[in-house]
Amino acid sequence: MPDAIEAVRTQGLFKRFGQQVAVGGVDLVVPSGSFAGLVGPNGAGKTTTLSMVTGLLRPDGGSIHIGGVDVWRDQVAVKSRIGVLPEGLRLFERLSGRELLSYNGQLRGIPRAEVEQRADGLLKVMGLTEAADKLVVDYSTGMRKKIGLAAALLHNPGVLFLDEPFEGVDPVSANTLVEVLRRYTDSGSTVVFSSHVMELVERLCDWVSVMDGGRIVAQGPLDEVRAGRSLNEAFLGLVGARGDGASGQEGLSWLGATPA
Amino acid sequence: MAGRDPGMSAPDRQRAVPEAVPGTVRVGPSVFVRLKLRLVAGNLRGSVQHLLGFVFTVIAAIVFAALGFFAMTTLRLAPAEVAGDVVTVLFTVFLVGWAVVPLLAFGLDDTLDPSRLALFPLRTGLLATGMFAASITGVWPIATLVVMIGAVAGLAGGAGGAILGTVAVLLHFALCVVLSRLVTTALSGVLRTRRGRDVLAVSVIFVVLGAQLPNLLLNGGLSADPGAMLRGVASVLRWTPSGMAAHAVADGGAAALLAIVVLAALVAGVGWLWIAALRRALVSPDASTQSSSVRNSRGLLAGVLPDGPLAAVVGKELRYARRDPRGRVGWFAAVAVAGIMAFSLNGEGGPTGVALAVAPACIGAALISMQWCNAFGIDGRSLWMNAVAYGTDRDWRTDIAGRHLAVATIGVPLLLVLSLVAALLAGSAEGIVWAVPATLTAWGVLGVGLGVGALTSVLMPYTVPERLNAFTGAAPGQGGIAFVASFGALIGTGLLALPIVLPVLLGLTWVSALAVPYGLLLSAGGRRVAGKAAFARYPALLQATSRAA
Repeated sequence: MPDAIEAVRTQGLFKRFGQQVAVGGVDLVVPSGSFAGLVGPNGAGKTTTLSMVTGLLRPDGGSIHIGGVDVWRDQVAVKSRIGVLPEGLRLFERLSGRELLSYNGQLRGIPRAEVEQRADGLLKVMGLTEAADKLVVDYSTGMRKKIGLAAALLHNPGVLFLDEPFEGVDPVSANTLVEVLRRYTDSGSTVVFSSHVMELVERLCDWVSVMDGGRIVAQGPLDEVRAGRSLNEAFLGLVGARGDGASGQEGLSWLGATPA
Repeated sequence: MAGRDPGMSAPDRQRAVPEAVPGTVRVGPSVFVRLKLRLVAGNLRGSVQHLLGFVFTVIAAIVFAALGFFAMTTLRLAPAEVAGDVVTVLFTVFLVGWAVVPLLAFGLDDTLDPSRLALFPLRTGLLATGMFAASITGVWPIATLVVMIGAVAGLAGGAGGAILGTVAVLLHFALCVVLSRLVTTALSGVLRTRRGRDVLAVSVIFVVLGAQLPNLLLNGGLSADPGAMLRGVASVLRWTPSGMAAHAVADGGAAALLAIVVLAALVAGVGWLWIAALRRALVSPDASTQSSSVRNSRGLLAGVLPDGPLAAVVGKELRYARRDPRGRVGWFAAVAVAGIMAFSLNGEGGPTGVALAVAPACIGAALISMQWCNAFGIDGRSLWMNAVAYGTDRDWRTDIAGRHLAVATIGVPLLLVLSLVAALLAGSAEGIVWAVPATLTAWGVLGVGLGVGALTSVLMPYTVPERLNAFTGAAPGQGGIAFVASFGALIGTGLLALPIVLPVLLGLTWVSALAVPYGLLLSAGGRRVAGKAAFARYPALLQATSRAA
């Protein structure tokens, strides 16, 4: 019964935009209950993969199962069970934070009283109670990530997909996000998030998938992937450090304090 | 962001920063001119659309300059007094235009925003000359100057008059530029805030309507004699800077000298104010993060509707109609155009009888429904929030129904009022009963329009840019599809509405009783088909409405 212990499994996932193959046969596996990191350099296909997994982008080939259910066959079952925070902070800008949460809850058919109660709790944990009645368009980056995460958590999904959740977030907000996510995974739910901050992935995750050039180049428990090195070293080894550090410096000979 | 790239290559920067004087920099205005040219060139790189747009702009400016110059020179054929009055009015239009238009287009030109230049080690005076030079670099400033010089050719008498006239025109041109700079700089703090931009976005509509005012007045026959009207306007404007410049060109002599002195003093004064505003704008804080809370009301309708997605969508749409400038502009425009139609149809040679009330109401209904021929466009990049929640075609149908219900909440009472106004304007005592068929037919047309719009929203979606622009309502590269969608929706609505509108226009008013059921039926049909189509192709829908604009 592999389905029961696997939160996410894709097979041969494939997507091209015109001539460019963005995702070329991704076999992503995330065990249930894990805090999983999807790492890779910019342009590796992380966002495209997450968009297809969450049902926002139709793949050109391959299959996606979440909790054993095909994402593109049984959308009702899958969509009620996942929470999503895409990249780029795309939210309903002209709603207040509280209205955004209640909109999300109502869309998913949660009774209004229940929505309001959950929203209050989430706003409090995220430290957004004071800003709850301000428009999202006036929020800072950290606040937007937090309200986005709150909206994704509102219907208590079993699997949470976050695309670059910590990008541009101040340390205090990042800490709040981490605490909420830790509490969430401790209860047995699954988090999949993409990032290129290795230290963060190393600190948070117990499962890592490394992407490069539209493929998974390594995948498994954190300790297995880094094999005694730091994750950053392992990562650079896997994707191949690009650009020769020494020769790139020559043009910058004027940079720095001039000797007297 | 492509437009933000200053476009200066490394050698340029080295030239601009001589190494000999660390800290302070000596740059001539030519650097700013080059920066402006680079910005223009950088915007055109790699985009055929932008290039075509630019070529079109250049051609338009050349045509404008040539025609304007020619028209000005032909003023010689007119009586001297009329010619002077025309130039007075025209100069005033230029001055006001220079003050207002850059405001509405703020953000198109990075050299207009002092905060972008705040970090360079430049003295304020130097910055001011540079920005002055940058703002006269462009096809429209040059075209303006050419037309104004044309006034010298058209008005001035003798060589001495021509010289004085040229000086006066140059000063007036300088005044245009300095005034426009003063206005944008003084307001740049406000313009950088979200609220300030919102207010401006809505005010675009008033400027557009304001431009229609003279047209309406002339058409309305409020002034039988255009000559008298011109004389009246010109006499009011006689002692404004533009009036003085025009008369300096026309009259010459000592009076012209005096006008030139006054104009020069004005340019210096406005310039001084501008530098002061610039100095303040460079160091004043960005207020864009200070914001107030919104009222946390549930709304009447949302209280009545059963809990669930329908109520959620209706509530959100009604909030957006109120809070998003694009929503407000759409409603204002629909009502204003319908109102203007109601007025102008009453002129001579127009339709008579019940049609006078029915036609404006139906046009208003069609215009309101036209805004929803791209119903998902305003949600745009946030539409994914709905998509991750909807798992069936029924969910999408409910979503569209919520949008329709929200439109109807505002549109139905609005059309009632519009029909009443149109019926009253139609004149005669029995006219008021025409409001009944007018209202019913308009409601029917609204239903038809919404049904057709639901289809185009799903089949031909496009991105609505965050920033309103008078020239295009779609993201770059989607102008064609936007045109097809709105034109298709208009034609579709027109054809499908014919069975209810035509008989009523011809006097068979009882047909209007069938209009509402007919509209309801068609909108329901549109929702059903659109819901199925939306579920089948929502990833494409998301992509089409989330383009970078």
